[in-house]
Amino acid sequence: MSDMILRTEHLGVSFGALKAVNDVSLEIEKGKFTTILGPNGAGKTTYFNLISGLLKPTTGKIFFKDADITSYKAIDRIAAGMGRSFQLTNVFPMLTVHENIRLSAQSYSKVGARLFRSHRRYDAVNSKTDEILERVLLPHRRNALAASLTHGEQRKLELGMVLALEPEVLLLDEPTAGMAIEQVPVMIDIMRDTHQRGTTVLLIEHKMDLVKQLSDRLVILVNGKVLADGNPTEVSQNPEVLKAYLGGGVLDATTA
Amino acid sequence: MGSNVRLSFDKKPELPKLIALAALITVFLVIPQFMRNTQLIMMSRIFILAVYGMSYDILRGYTGFINLGQAIFFGSGVYMGVIFLNMQNDLWFFMMAAGSIFVASVIGGYVMSKIVLRTGGVVAAAMVTLALGEIVRNIAERWRTVTGGQDGLPLRFSRVALEPLFTTRLGAYYFAFVFLIVMTFALRAFVLSPTGRVLQAIRENEQRARFLGYDTQKYKTIALIVSSVAAGFSGLVFAVIVRFANTDYLSITYTLNALLITLVGGTGTLYGSILGSAFVTWIQNFLLDLNRSLGWDILRYPMLFVGSLYILLVIFMPAGLLGGFFQLKNWWDRKRLSRATDNTPEA
Repeated sequence: MSDMILRTEHLGVSFGALKAVNDVSLEIEKGKFTTILGPNGAGKTTYFNLISGLLKPTTGKIFFKDADITSYKAIDRIAAGMGRSFQLTNVFPMLTVHENIRLSAQSYSKVGARLFRSHRRYDAVNSKTDEILERVLLPHRRNALAASLTHGEQRKLELGMVLALEPEVLLLDEPTAGMAIEQVPVMIDIMRDTHQRGTTVLLIEHKMDLVKQLSDRLVILVNGKVLADGNPTEVSQNPEVLKAYLGGGVLDATTA
Repeated sequence: MGSNVRLSFDKKPELPKLIALAALITVFLVIPQFMRNTQLIMMSRIFILAVYGMSYDILRGYTGFINLGQAIFFGSGVYMGVIFLNMQNDLWFFMMAAGSIFVASVIGGYVMSKIVLRTGGVVAAAMVTLALGEIVRNIAERWRTVTGGQDGLPLRFSRVALEPLFTTRLGAYYFAFVFLIVMTFALRAFVLSPTGRVLQAIRENEQRARFLGYDTQKYKTIALIVSSVAAGFSGLVFAVIVRFANTDYLSITYTLNALLITLVGGTGTLYGSILGSAFVTWIQNFLLDLNRSLGWDILRYPMLFVGSLYILLVIFMPAGLLGGFFQLKNWWDRKRLSRATDNTPEA
């Protein structure tokens, strides 16, 4: 059990008659790059919301590092080592890029509610901020307001804010959504780099060509249920997947 | 478009700025020597209401929280100042008043946060604080033995001590000025502290702040307590200047005064409240003076002009005096920057 970092057992949530997530049991291995793939409306983001504590499940349980965290609040899950990004860009618009990431690094450094010492004098926080800025390739934008960034830059900033939390499990909700096509490989490099540093990554995507090479494991989610689960090559050739999800044909497109 | 927008506090103070600040402080130390008593009183009021405005800015400008009961703390400060100094008018009782106000504001701020933060949303919180403020004012009006009801409570200087600080207007001016400087530095440090930074994050996007692992309720409670203490202290010093306490200082009018000061000066700029306080206090005095010297009937209604002026200000300078200045400066910096590096490729 020890190499399972995150586990959901019969996890489900209903909105009225709609079972958005329906009896999903998955075990996420530590250090692996797992991708959840599915068409729009398959329940991917809802599944993330359940894991990260934004939604309460109607059925099932969530285990993180072998502890039952089903009843944990979102903030406690973050403290336990879970970090998530959001599908819609979710940053602090009127603060600078540097400040956005610094706030995250400050949270990770557990500075606490210090009242009168300037934030500039916490060297560990500042050097961490600089390191993350480098990792998400935004050092040249450090003094720009987050609101003035391009969409692609905001996605990188968003990712940087999660990375600064040094999560053991990183939940990424379509980090390339809406990005300019030439920016996508950059984002993929950042994700690969993060994974190689030892972080367990759980990624949501709906474009298979992006993730086939990146992922150790592919989970196909359709209508709130797991349709297929396994290594990317097998799953992408699974006839059921081809039929239900992609209508066939496009799976072999290479990574951009 | 490399928009190197600079927020008010993003840089360390440089030497020229420090020299300018020292010069400014010197000016304000010298000019009272040439002032009449009425002017000294007005200046003292400006200094104190500036601190009161800053206390409000911590909530409205930095945390994004509208408190319509801020006057509870200001008015309580005024009352406690008068009550303590009426017992014995010396430094010890002043210190005791300050200590009591500190304790009362911490408790009051904490209790208020526990009530208010149960509500969801800015509007609900504003309504609850409004109700709390009116409750406190009503209690004060009924509790005549302590507060003097609507007649108010004058500060008696039967036993004069600690000359010349509280007895002369000049002493009070210096006292208020030092108070402003100390509180400005203290609140600036607070705003720049890790905690103050989290407050801005809450203002910008509370859900995101929570997902960075911040207990946003806890931070809002801290903001309320710090703001309450600052408002309480400004009430205490105000008591020394106006030498009088009544329930007006507890009422919504004085909360709106703070709101106005931050609005005019610039929300979320901290120092803006100094400009705001100066403007708000001065314009009313100015119109009254004008009425006295010209005797025009219409000038008997100064709020007619003041109100119109505020409306114009909100329309044309929504960021306030200092906020508008920063915007202008940013625009100028950008323009200069884009001239210097006209064809920089942008990533």
